[in-house]
Amino acid sequence: MMNLEEKKKSGLELFLYWGLPILAILLVVGGWLWFAISNPRLMPNPLQVYERLIRTFTRPVAKVNLFGHAFASLGRVLMALVFAWVIGIVLGILIGWSRVCKAVIGTIFEIIRPIPPIAWIPIVIMWFGIEEFPKVLLVFIGTFVPLVINTAAGIGLVDKINIDVGKIFGGNRFQILAQIVIPTALPSIFAGIRTSVSSGWTTVLAAEMIAAQHGLGALVTRGWQGSDMALVMVAVITIAIIGAFLAFSLNKLEKWVCPWTK
Amino acid sequence: MALDDNALKIKLREWKDKQRRDDLKYLGIGAASLLAFLLFWQMAVKTGLANERTLPAPSAIFETFLDKLTDPDPDGNTLGTNIFASLQVSLSGFFAALVIGIPLGLCMGWWTYADRFLRPIFELIRPVPPIAWIPLVVVWMGVGLKAKALIIFFTTFVPCVINSYTGIRLTNQTLINVSKTFGAKNFEIFHKVGIPSAMPMVFAGVRVALGSSWSTLVAAEMLAASAGLGYMIQYGRNVARADIVIVGMLTIGLVGAFLAAMLQFVEKRFLKWKTTR
Amino acid sequence: MDKVSNKMEIRQISKTFFASKGYFVAIEDVSFDVRDGEFLVILGPGHCGKTVLLNIVAGLDKQTGGRVLYDGTPMDGVNNQISMVFQKLALMSFKTVMQNVELGLTFRGTPKNERRKISQKYLDLVGLTGFEKSYPYQLSGGMKQRVGIARAYANDPKVLVMDEPFGQLDAQTRYAMQEELLKTWEKDKRTVIFVTNNIEEALYLGDRIVLLSECPAKVKAIYPVDLPKPRDMTGKIFLDLRAEISSNTDLAI
Repeated sequence: MMNLEEKKKSGLELFLYWGLPILAILLVVGGWLWFAISNPRLMPNPLQVYERLIRTFTRPVAKVNLFGHAFASLGRVLMALVFAWVIGIVLGILIGWSRVCKAVIGTIFEIIRPIPPIAWIPIVIMWFGIEEFPKVLLVFIGTFVPLVINTAAGIGLVDKINIDVGKIFGGNRFQILAQIVIPTALPSIFAGIRTSVSSGWTTVLAAEMIAAQHGLGALVTRGWQGSDMALVMVAVITIAIIGAFLAFSLNKLEKWVCPWTK
Repeated sequence: MALDDNALKIKLREWKDKQRRDDLKYLGIGAASLLAFLLFWQMAVKTGLANERTLPAPSAIFETFLDKLTDPDPDGNTLGTNIFASLQVSLSGFFAALVIGIPLGLCMGWWTYADRFLRPIFELIRPVPPIAWIPLVVVWMGVGLKAKALIIFFTTFVPCVINSYTGIRLTNQTLINVSKTFGAKNFEIFHKVGIPSAMPMVFAGVRVALGSSWSTLVAAEMLAASAGLGYMIQYGRNVARADIVIVGMLTIGLVGAFLAAMLQFVEKRFLKWKTTR
Repeated sequence: MDKVSNKMEIRQISKTFFASKGYFVAIEDVSFDVRDGEFLVILGPGHCGKTVLLNIVAGLDKQTGGRVLYDGTPMDGVNNQISMVFQKLALMSFKTVMQNVELGLTFRGTPKNERRKISQKYLDLVGLTGFEKSYPYQLSGGMKQRVGIARAYANDPKVLVMDEPFGQLDAQTRYAMQEELLKTWEKDKRTVIFVTNNIEEALYLGDRIVLLSECPAKVKAIYPVDLPKPRDMTGKIFLDLRAEISSNTDLAI
């Protein structure tokens, strides 16, 4: 039943309640060990992964240690996000607020929208090579699209009565947009920001896996091509931890920016 | 009566005409801006403002598209074969994940013990971006259909579980209490109250999953494949054929949009009660 | 009665909605006057036309036919002399109570200190002292409606339009709010146009009652209520009038 936590528990229930998660974790670790021992070439064991982790600091890959690679990836994402947030939100507001803008920009946007950011990788490499700019541009494409969609949708969903209130209390078109419509759409814009961060994190990895010297994605490829599965595992685990951390910080940020949402 | 029926009917017709004119006007603006965009692009290439080798004109891209329908050069497959290869992989992984992920999420949301057992495992898988699975799975299983389907499986699985879980957790407690009062068993309530009320959330998850599985598939094919749309654009880049790359991109977008539209159609059919409320 | 001057004149207003499926007549040929300083109640059954009528009077909607005069001149769009309390509260969920009340002043560019002073005065008046920094979701239904009223007052309108402001409150709160509203009105004698579907509320508050019919809304009758306020809801005249209006009211379905 759903509210078991609140009821008084019998001994067996208590045992299951705490025993099951422990059992699950043991199963995962056991499964990993079993897989690693029976297929040492396919899967390193946890100890090997730990040793490989230490070695990323003592013998840096491409002259940069693990933190360096993580910061390379994060830096690209952050740089792209700043541009995507500004441009994406402004475009979203225009599309959501003005029918003419929607007809002009929206039509072209609708054609670009369904193309996954990863599919841009080959053409962007052809255009701009494999320097820093094309990677940031790719992440920008990946983060910009969800922002425009969510912002425009949020603006479109604003209740007409809120706009009526603005009119009655003497607001002009710009005041109503700035003080009523945009704040009302803010939770939706934030949903776009959340999607943009996770999509940006994925895109930067893909871009780095295909062509890069530094970055966590580059580590994955390097390990993969050098049959160094321990390095792949180190990179994947780091990627997961940073991804989880980003999602967590965004939740905190949202509580701070939108204190009125419970 | 101030206004008779006929006068109102005339007014209604006027209103409808104006509405139609408005719709047409904005449609026209949209089409015109798209046309202007394409024209500008074409001119930019023809005047040498853009390099034809890296950015072919729209007309050239259209020609390549027609060509690619029957011509397997340069990557060895016609466009149709590539689309089919991509769809086969993505749909098999996608459906497998639906069949396993949705019931799993629903059970986790309904039964505490299922939650306690499955949640830790799930939380370990969840933060790994789908793309990061590619090297692991390829090393484990090679580059065949099964390996790529497994990657798509991981991609689809996570949003399906999360949304089914949240959806069933949000079941209205009053409905559950009413069912209990009428003597329904827990499983019966799960089946008849919990699942239907979770459906809109489940569909939202499936929608997210569809988008991300399609994009992960492209990544997987770019990294390890011998057919498929992702392979096609990667190959196009290797032989410096920008027209092939752009045709591939547009096809990927088009097929993705088509899949999303199909899903929306199914959702409308499935959630009829929601729209009539 | 002494010399009567009309603040607003509503002349043969009609409103028809058009949709792709057909048309719908919401208001047909409605005319009445709003006298300066009076408490006018518009009483109507069901869901038909009342909010639309108010939106037209306030300048939010355009009528299909007829005219609305304010101080003798036809209205075109909203008018900063008219303020409104909305039926669905329509508070800004992202603004604090204080910021909500200040809305009109903010739009007008009133300096912050003055803004604070004015809105504090009206917040005190409606009994929300101490809730200035709360967000609407932290308030009860009655408190939210007080914010809506304070917001309308803070704009210092000549005419206050109220659209079923107490419709979503429980009976106790409703009586208390009616009494408070009357007290405030007695003090400053602002012109009030008050819409309700509740006969008792109409009789308790109104100087005159405009009774509307069911769809399309038309004026059935206009009743002057010459009783001193606060009114005894069990007095004979009160009950007689109530019975009369009641028998003349269309049943809302």
